[in-house]
Amino acid sequence: MHRFVRPQLLLCDSKQPLLPTAGQLCTNHKSVVSSVRAYVVLPPTNDEEEKAMLHRMMRVDHAGEYGANRIYAGQMAVLGHTQISPLIQEMWDQEKQHLRKFNEILAENRVRPTLLLPLWNIAGFALGAGSALLGKEGAMACTVAVEESISEHYNSQIRTLMEIDPEKYSELLQLIKEFRDDEMEHHDTGLEHDAESVPGYQLMKAIIQAGCKAAICVSERL
Amino acid sequence: MAALIRGLRAGRVLRGLGSVAVQGTLSPQCSNVRRGFHRAALLRLANDSKSDTSVPPPSYHEVDTAGESSSSSAHGESSEDAQPNTSFQDQSGEHGEDYETEEQLQARILTAALVYCVCVVNAAPSESTGWRFTTNHRPGFTDEMLIGRCLQGRNCISKKTAEFLRDAVEMRLRMLIPYIDTWPRAMSILLLPHNIPDSLKHLSTMVDDIWYYAGDRSTDVNWYTRRAALTGIYNTTELVMVQDSSPDFEETWAFLDNRIKDVVNMANTAKQVQATGEAVVQGLMGAAITLKNLTGMNQRR
Repeated sequence: MHRFVRPQLLLCDSKQPLLPTAGQLCTNHKSVVSSVRAYVVLPPTNDEEEKAMLHRMMRVDHAGEYGANRIYAGQMAVLGHTQISPLIQEMWDQEKQHLRKFNEILAENRVRPTLLLPLWNIAGFALGAGSALLGKEGAMACTVAVEESISEHYNSQIRTLMEIDPEKYSELLQLIKEFRDDEMEHHDTGLEHDAESVPGYQLMKAIIQAGCKAAICVSERL
Repeated sequence: MAALIRGLRAGRVLRGLGSVAVQGTLSPQCSNVRRGFHRAALLRLANDSKSDTSVPPPSYHEVDTAGESSSSSAHGESSEDAQPNTSFQDQSGEHGEDYETEEQLQARILTAALVYCVCVVNAAPSESTGWRFTTNHRPGFTDEMLIGRCLQGRNCISKKTAEFLRDAVEMRLRMLIPYIDTWPRAMSILLLPHNIPDSLKHLSTMVDDIWYYAGDRSTDVNWYTRRAALTGIYNTTELVMVQDSSPDFEETWAFLDNRIKDVVNMANTAKQVQATGEAVVQGLMGAAITLKNLTGMNQRR
């Protein structure tokens, strides 16, 4: 899609339509190469809205992985010397991998990280540590709730991208699908390890998921 | 044929810009510049018909002289605005010879607009589009493009970060030198509530670009602290420059040096404080474990 210089760049009250007429001359030419190189996840684009949308998605995903990292860190801080610790450590390592990938994407595409990262740092650690204080079941219940929220979020992103253009975003879709599958695996692991046997499971799950939804909403904008 | 279309396009754009800029209050200065600019447009048409779209990337010197000569004469302007060919034509590029990327046209217009910044600001003050023109076309408007291209031309990635920041800010402020007499007025226009969103956007884009080319790839809260620090440095140095009367603004560059040193010191101090804090915490933990051992609380019976 070849778009000409935006009208806002020119004078606001110019009476003559300057560039639109000139722009029509250019629509015959082919524009930016649309093939995506293998190692580029976000397709290069000149469209401002599309770029804003992609940046927003990457920003919130990065914030999500960062928060998940801190939650597992909090759980390990409390349950680090128990039987469940190798399992939590394994899940934490996978989240670290996800975060590393998103850090790469943010750096490569000059995406602004969310301003609330310090808040998610503290909140995530507190949530992880707090749920782990309820024992192994509490930690697993927290994992189940958070991973369910994140999977739902990734699914909605996948839906959005598929609706727009599955081929153009094939790399990005593949990445999000892979991460979503990992998160679902964590969710299932949590269920296997007696997440539902914690007292007040439904209430805890509802509160955590509401918090996650609010965090996602805010991180997209800020 | 292609050159003719481009010339027509250029001529129409420039004439359009000229007519709005000198709406009503035509000072002799302005009309001279305008005439000079039309001459430049014709010059460019002649140049374009000879040369192709591929142009060597500009050197720092070229753009600097373009900025400084604009106040005196406009004829050097157009022939010097070389832009890198940024059209994507690697594998399946099918661009014709007459293809002009958005960036190239943007660059041409923006370089042309530099002239009008001087023209309007020097003219008698009027509350009409003249002033808004200044805000829409201040040299800062070209920050992202000019600095980016300058820096790429100079291959600045190898410099140390502090030196790089200093050079980038100095280069950007040197672009103000031709307009320095009327710059306070331009600054006050930029601070009008109506213009603040735009001026903030320009400032933030410029600072983001400087840090990016300085090598910053942070993805945590440092992203914000670094840009905030550089914004502070840039704004204060700009204010100092505006009322500096030393030869070649030496005092301004000395001030800039000191501010950059301050920021570097603060960053280092923050790192040291953090390291010290961690060491202290570890020491305390060690002491606590020793106490537990001494009192026998650590043993499992």
